[in-house]
Amino acid sequence: MKRRVGIIGVGVSKFGRRDDVTVRELAWESIREALEDAGLTQKDIDLVVAGSTAYRGVELYPAPPVSEYSSLLGKTPLRVEAACATGSAAAFTAVNSVASGSAEVVLAVGFDKMTEVDTPTSLAIGGRGGNYQWEFHMYGTTFPSYYALYATRHMAVYGTTEEDMALASVKAHKYASMNEKAHLRNRVTVEDVLKSRLISWPIKLLDSSPISDGSAAVIFASEEKIRELKVDTPVWIEGIGFGSDTSSIARRGEWTSLRAAREAAASAYSLSGRTPSDVEYATVHDCFTIAEIMAYEDLGFAERGKGATLLREGQTERGGRVAVNLLGGLKAKGHPLGATGLAMLYEVTKQLREEAGPVQHQFKNYVALTHNVGGTGHYAYVTVLSR
Amino acid sequence: MQAIPLELRYVIPERGYEKFWEGLKKGEIWATKCKRCGSLYYPPQRDCPVCMTSELEWYRLSDRGELMTYTVVKAKPQGYEDREDYTIGIVRTEDGVDLMCWIKGVPRVGSKVRLGTDGDRVVGETA
Repeated sequence: MKRRVGIIGVGVSKFGRRDDVTVRELAWESIREALEDAGLTQKDIDLVVAGSTAYRGVELYPAPPVSEYSSLLGKTPLRVEAACATGSAAAFTAVNSVASGSAEVVLAVGFDKMTEVDTPTSLAIGGRGGNYQWEFHMYGTTFPSYYALYATRHMAVYGTTEEDMALASVKAHKYASMNEKAHLRNRVTVEDVLKSRLISWPIKLLDSSPISDGSAAVIFASEEKIRELKVDTPVWIEGIGFGSDTSSIARRGEWTSLRAAREAAASAYSLSGRTPSDVEYATVHDCFTIAEIMAYEDLGFAERGKGATLLREGQTERGGRVAVNLLGGLKAKGHPLGATGLAMLYEVTKQLREEAGPVQHQFKNYVALTHNVGGTGHYAYVTVLSR
Repeated sequence: MQAIPLELRYVIPERGYEKFWEGLKKGEIWATKCKRCGSLYYPPQRDCPVCMTSELEWYRLSDRGELMTYTVVKAKPQGYEDREDYTIGIVRTEDGVDLMCWIKGVPRVGSKVRLGTDGDRVVGETA
């Protein structure tokens, strides 16, 4: 990066089925919190990068209504999209705008109102999350079915079991129960997960993240601006790695790991000069339980095929070797696509600042990362941060 | 309140891929192959971005392969709601091409599959 960039404000809305708001109020919830957290007003913001998939809400071009409602007119010239990694795409755009010198203070806001359509419609939109003609049209793929193809292969090659995957769900629900803004706050057992309704074998309802509404906002600033504002605890971006892969899942050639995520991780580690063992806290993209297991492997926290071991040994719990998703993960906190990547930065920022309350992890060197996957590995971003 | 529904009615082109769609009706699976570098494309492509050429020829794929992975779809999307549960698989053909198909018979990773079509899609039957 040409200039050092840090996070100076974060906000996140309540996630869940938000019948009480339109996308404008929903986005404002996190924008307001981020501005207050940074101690800034709209006039301090040079650029707004809006991130939203916007396929499931009535507002197909939601950036202008959000910008108008939040008094951010004249600063919002674009909306970015990278499926489930949309929030990270917004962060990537914002960070590079600051790093390049084209802006000093940039607000990235991610939001999606996903529950405005019914579930079959939502499945049909997610099922197009690959290649319409060659997958959805002919085979009726759904988003869970894509990840199920990975789960089946991981089970066959490495002996990962449905019980192993269930452990990721149990952990997610446990931490979400302590997060007032989480979508699903009930605790579940391995048995609950195994007995839950089949969605796309071997994926069951309780292996799956919910369809959520929500928003998240992060304010980035240049090092110079951070010194000028005398920010107490800036959280520094040490590197953002990215990757991408084929639209057709069959063409990936392997179904036990996400190449895009491995490449994003390698790049983020290289940019930051960190290694997997330096990472004390991580948010990983657990849209389905198998995705959390693969994330451990793709990030180098575990060897290929051994991801489930970390869950069995509790190494990714609070106080473990690397604490993961202590706000409940996508699985239970919720997964509003446009918000997720920025909600991960919110979570890591709160942890690194030691403002995470009941789920505060103890840091030695204050190094963390976010791992955000778009589609079924079509896009990936890994961001290394430190205090 | 109820918002105004948005009905998206799409028409998509078949041009350049007639051979594939006609093949599906006859139980055949066709890929394309670059005449210059030999790259094999499935799904078929009209262009080879490796050598920047549009000189590709049709190549009929083997009807034998191995099941790499699969899933049984229970929660179905719009457009497939009225279907019985179906099994989506990825099969590696003897040509080394990985393709999506529906699987009939008992699925097992590693099982041998005989590939055909049902007129609208590729279907693999496990041995």
